[in-house]
Amino acid sequence: MKHLITLKVNGDDYTVACDSSRTLNEVLREDLGLTGTKLGCGDGDCGACTVLIDGDSVSSCLTLAVSCEGKEITTVEGLAKSGEELHPIQEAFIEKGAIQCGFCTAGMEMSALNLLKKNPSPTEPEIRTAISGNLCRCTGYYKIIEAIHSAAETMKEKQ
Amino acid sequence: MGLSRFDYYAPETIGDACELAGKLGEGTMFMAGGTDLLIKAKRRLLNVSAVIDIKKIKELNKITFDEKEGLVIGSTVTLTEIENHPLIKEKYPAIADAAAATANVQIRNMASAAGNLCNAAPSAENAPVLLAMGANVTVEGRDGKRIIPLDKFFTGPGQTVLKQGELLTAINVPVPPKGAGTSYQHISARGKVDISSVCVGAMLVMKGDICEDARIFLGAVAPTPMMAKNAQELLKGKKITEELLQTAGIEASKECKPITDMRASKEYRTLMVAVLTGRAIDESRRRAAK
Amino acid sequence: MDKYDIIGKSVPRNHTKDKATGAAQYTDDIKLPGMLHGRILRSPYAHARILNIDTSRAEALAGVKCVITGNDLPDIKFGNWRLFTETQDETGLARDRVRFIGDEVAAVAAIDKDIAEEALSLIRVEYEELPASFDIDTSLGKGAPIIHDPFKNNISVVRKVANGDLDKAFSECDYIREDVFNVHAISACYLEPCSSLAKCDPDGKITLWTSTQTPYMVQCLLASALGMRENDIRVIKPHVGGGFGAKMELRKWDVCAAFMAKKTGKPVKFTLTREEELATGRRRHPMRLFSKVGCKKDGTLVAKDLKILLDGGAYNAMGPTATFLCGNFGLMLYKYKSYRFLGQHVYTNNPPSSAIRGFGSPQSYFATETQMNLIAEDLGIDPIEIRRMNAVKTGDVIPELSTIGSCAFSECLDKVIEVSGYHEKRKNPKKGRGIGIGCYSFISGGVFNWFNTQYPFSAAEIRAFADGTVHLLTMASDIGQGSDTILPQILAEELGLKMEDIRITSADTATTPQADLGSWGSRVTLMAGNAVIDAAKKLKEILFGAVTAHYNLNVIHELECKDGRIFSQVRPDKGLTFGQAVALAQKFNRGVPIVTRGSYTPRGMGMVTPAFSFGAQVAEVEVDEKTGRVEVKKMWTAHDCGTVLNPVSVEGQLEGSIHMGLGYVLSEQFAMEKGKTLNTTFLDYKMPSALDMPVSESICIETYEKEGPYGAKEAGEGLVGPTAPAIADAVYNAVGYRCMDMPITPEKVLKGKKDSLN
Repeated sequence: MKHLITLKVNGDDYTVACDSSRTLNEVLREDLGLTGTKLGCGDGDCGACTVLIDGDSVSSCLTLAVSCEGKEITTVEGLAKSGEELHPIQEAFIEKGAIQCGFCTAGMEMSALNLLKKNPSPTEPEIRTAISGNLCRCTGYYKIIEAIHSAAETMKEKQ
Repeated sequence: MGLSRFDYYAPETIGDACELAGKLGEGTMFMAGGTDLLIKAKRRLLNVSAVIDIKKIKELNKITFDEKEGLVIGSTVTLTEIENHPLIKEKYPAIADAAAATANVQIRNMASAAGNLCNAAPSAENAPVLLAMGANVTVEGRDGKRIIPLDKFFTGPGQTVLKQGELLTAINVPVPPKGAGTSYQHISARGKVDISSVCVGAMLVMKGDICEDARIFLGAVAPTPMMAKNAQELLKGKKITEELLQTAGIEASKECKPITDMRASKEYRTLMVAVLTGRAIDESRRRAAK
Repeated sequence: MDKYDIIGKSVPRNHTKDKATGAAQYTDDIKLPGMLHGRILRSPYAHARILNIDTSRAEALAGVKCVITGNDLPDIKFGNWRLFTETQDETGLARDRVRFIGDEVAAVAAIDKDIAEEALSLIRVEYEELPASFDIDTSLGKGAPIIHDPFKNNISVVRKVANGDLDKAFSECDYIREDVFNVHAISACYLEPCSSLAKCDPDGKITLWTSTQTPYMVQCLLASALGMRENDIRVIKPHVGGGFGAKMELRKWDVCAAFMAKKTGKPVKFTLTREEELATGRRRHPMRLFSKVGCKKDGTLVAKDLKILLDGGAYNAMGPTATFLCGNFGLMLYKYKSYRFLGQHVYTNNPPSSAIRGFGSPQSYFATETQMNLIAEDLGIDPIEIRRMNAVKTGDVIPELSTIGSCAFSECLDKVIEVSGYHEKRKNPKKGRGIGIGCYSFISGGVFNWFNTQYPFSAAEIRAFADGTVHLLTMASDIGQGSDTILPQILAEELGLKMEDIRITSADTATTPQADLGSWGSRVTLMAGNAVIDAAKKLKEILFGAVTAHYNLNVIHELECKDGRIFSQVRPDKGLTFGQAVALAQKFNRGVPIVTRGSYTPRGMGMVTPAFSFGAQVAEVEVDEKTGRVEVKKMWTAHDCGTVLNPVSVEGQLEGSIHMGLGYVLSEQFAMEKGKTLNTTFLDYKMPSALDMPVSESICIETYEKEGPYGAKEAGEGLVGPTAPAIADAVYNAVGYRCMDMPITPEKVLKGKKDSLN
């Protein structure tokens, strides 16, 4: 069954015709060309496909695109204000060496955003829990945890 | 592998949802978070011809509590909402613990406790505590509404008493009796974010040091979550000592019927039932004393 | 004052802005006009003869553009060990036999993924099942099924090392110990599943974008597999989401994508699912290690006899190298009067084993280091002391293999013991807690040329511009380890430029200089780094000449590049900006661009590697004695990676190693049933999450390795070796369970623990 749906992604409306069984991940990557969101496992176990829907982090690989109509979707491409001004989370990931191969990065950043929106001053165990659904093989998570700490500080200062 | 092809509907009332499900018939699935359903559809473990998304039904997305009726958790309430709900944390801490121990953040932001029950995995994290607390589920269909005690709900791995077209609309948990303490214990052999190899939910009703009533349920050690009957009986009317909780644990381990799979062996699961039952009794007792 | 301007600084990585914003393109992110989607049909049998394949129904499905089987492809075998053609045992798709569950049988290209998937289900394959072997015992036993016909005993590679008179050495020993260790397979778990996209130009030339660590090897092997010329194939490595060794071969979907692109005239892309990766992807070799060690009463090691049987799975893949290397690692840490090694690479019907971080060392060091602890315990010697007294040192000769150019192994031991409070914690144990040690030495690239490259091992080209910038071109492959940062960093130091003055183009076989053997064996920093320095030196000669001429300097003046200027060391005022010098040099050449090339090939460096790294690691664990669960509380590491070029990068590598080492020993394993992998999701294949990671503290003991760029050598890969033995030793220290068969599971801990300990 094909549906003509309008998705609000990073503030912009996109109208796509999509089959009801297509996942949000497929529509973002294949129809909208927003390939910053990755697909690492397709089972909701690795977190590489994490996006925010109405402010909550979800696995885009286990979300039906049709179910997202009328919701606010934020992907990694919507994090930075412009090409020149990055989001504090992105700045911190770069600054702290939290990025190696980069394949988990988008999902990690979205999980970090989910956390910091709800808990602006997280403890280390809270950060670990917040990213425990995001797997990374390169970093051992240390510098990612450090980056999220640092981003939290910057975001508080900015407010 | 992509998802199998299916139709999608998103009705806004329970009545419409049930009507639609009845009309569409076999192969129609209700979907809340979809985290179990879509994986099963992807692996072709379920033949899904239509999905009825219930997230747009507003009345299902509520948590309510009153001193008479107890707690009502609507069937689209997410695990994250349960985990963080102040009233649940205060009055039903083990329910919050079990929700928080399910899968990972993203999944908890999507998945519902009701879906966890309907998926009916033997290891369903949210079942043992709800069972121990005597929860019921409200089920609605074209033919009306029925209330099913949760201990009559599961019939086998992936199997429940739900009939085609019936929608679980709410989980109802009675007000805990005076002196009650609850606990959720689980172990995953390999990592902290893991599917449980064994899980235990317990509720003890204490009067001073004496256990007046006990309900203990075990997950992942039988085709459905199961009551540890003998262990419960052993505790009733007795003072809870270190020795007694160990004996009760061993009793529970004799009752369970685990299998060996890739997550843990039968022997290890049996041992862990004893350990975790003991820990669940202990925590329940401590929480009751607070 | 710092000796260097930029070496030793944690300059942020190149490309991290792209990665942070989602702009970085990985292979599966690329979409070309008219692109087809490929899927692979895999064998459901572990060992079977293919009697017939009927693809007619798949071909008839609307939207299907191409269906191929093994017989459509040239009958040419490929494999990375080109120097030894008998080791090349793979073809683009199975021809007449399948040898493991998941072996590639047919491929489909269709206008979308769903159609391709549906087409797979329409292909009918008739198999005749054959007896199969799922372990080395069966493969080596009587009447074993022969998995590859030329190898009647199923042993595809044999490696021997023999130094000194072993019998005599053992006869001099006061104490001899023999142990058998078993280690298991793990997945590389790179987050990016393998992906490959091929395009064929109208003139028949192919461009392949692929998730690889070795674009040059893929280029050569793909050319040979398709019966084409090397230069007709262009391999481009986009961003790669990790490889860890498991992406260093030509893979079957590369062949299929290229062949089908040629056949259809449309671009064809294959991207594997995680399920395919876990069920059929490359794995670390399971090994059985028989180790006999003899020593004097005081703990002085005398003789070692090591035999290793590798479960290679169905194809050789990188198995020959693992067979070679695990024997070298058997003698790299400690001195023996005599050492003998026998390695046998055994075919089974399991998914193929290959290179995964450490390349034979995690297995080898698990045995070596555990055995050192056993010996120390038997002899009543402190486990640290026995290591210190036998430790190799700078200048030591590893017979027939190498001379150690720099080594701070003993210093690493001392430091890690000090910072971890090892002795204090051993003396006053807390209940359920334990502390343990593991050590390693690793290579900085291999000097063996089994690929039989006809080019330098690494190469670099520098194009200099009058605006003061340079363009560095190299085939070295950044797969997340950071070579696209380290190489410009080395170049910036050489030329006195800033990072932003350098543009880098890497890993494109058509535009970057021939060649580079790829990113594996920790070879890139040393080898490509040296190539960059070589090219930089040549560039500086040209620019120094221009400045010398401009100021009419005495030819004995030494010149220097610093802060964007080139000037005389004794008369710093006599100098030009880098750009002015380039402009001048270019004028001297009547406009010919200033381009220099450099290369590096290790020569006269023995049989193994140009440089060795070393380190020691201490783990502290807490064991729940009721459940048998092990929690690693803290890891301390002291390592010698020569000069630290970029501290944050080195730390990042080290921390990643801890992750992989921890998973290896505690949580990662495959559940196998007759060659079938049961755990094919990250839910059931358990790599550690952020909640499972211990606190980590690390110290670099700097040495200067004269063969390395600015004194640098390997960092981070070898560190995956000591983690497992250190944790296993700590578990023993906590509850008395000594792990001889990896991994450690709660169940084994409960069975093996001794109640009396701690």
